[in-house]
Amino acid sequence: MKALVVDDSEVMRKVLMGALSRAGITDVDQAGDGNIAVEKVKSGEEYDLILMDWYMPNMLGIEAVQAIRAAGSTIPIIMVTTEAEKSRVIEALKAGANNYIIKPFEPAAIVQKIKDTIGG
Amino acid sequence: MKIEYINPFIDSVHKLFSAMLGSKVEQGQIGVAKGKSVPFELTALIGLSGMARGTVALSFPGETAVAMVGKMLGIEVSTLDETITDGVGEIVNIVAGSAKSKFTGDGSPIDLSLPNVIRGDNYTIEYPSQAVWLEVPFESELGPFNLRVTFELDN
Repeated sequence: MKALVVDDSEVMRKVLMGALSRAGITDVDQAGDGNIAVEKVKSGEEYDLILMDWYMPNMLGIEAVQAIRAAGSTIPIIMVTTEAEKSRVIEALKAGANNYIIKPFEPAAIVQKIKDTIGG
Repeated sequence: MKIEYINPFIDSVHKLFSAMLGSKVEQGQIGVAKGKSVPFELTALIGLSGMARGTVALSFPGETAVAMVGKMLGIEVSTLDETITDGVGEIVNIVAGSAKSKFTGDGSPIDLSLPNVIRGDNYTIEYPSQAVWLEVPFESELGPFNLRVTFELDN
């Protein structure tokens, strides 16, 4: 299993990599903004899961989700964001995100969300 | 700025500590920040726009910032480097982001800017007279820090 963690915060990427590891995924690639994430997916990198932040420089996470789906990719995507408004959750799911977790989260909650999304 | 507008931000700090930092935190008295203030070594700022306008600032002594980011990462950290400034930027993002949904309900969401972090041992923050800033000191197991918020909701 391989995952892609997309967040402009290096600290948050490390936190998420720790959660992925506890969910059994240790092969992890990173991207610091939505643009880089879309390029990685389009270049044919094969991921089983993407964790996507919302607010990032160059391209927002929501735009990256739209671009990834527009490119025909069906990789499961979990939005990991502080955006807690119902309208934002709906927007993300409509764009093609499969799951959603709001920061701050309990460590066990993010691990469970990852397992639920990959069917583990 | 209405005094009750500070409450969701205080709640966010408590939520951050219980969920991601696993540490205790206690708030001090809410006050009005006036004139100039000498902040702690690191100040993380984030702007709010859209349905509301405002700024959220968290100010930390270096030791508190190092302890908080280390706790978030689950590792022992001793140096105040760019990982720490990145981490406090993420912390202000979480505090502001988690609070803002309390104001809008099912309405249009409030947007966040990207966070900025100021670091120095001799700087002041000045409060322009037209904006009211509320401040709350916190004491925690990871050290003291301050929350300052200016916030106006559009009708």
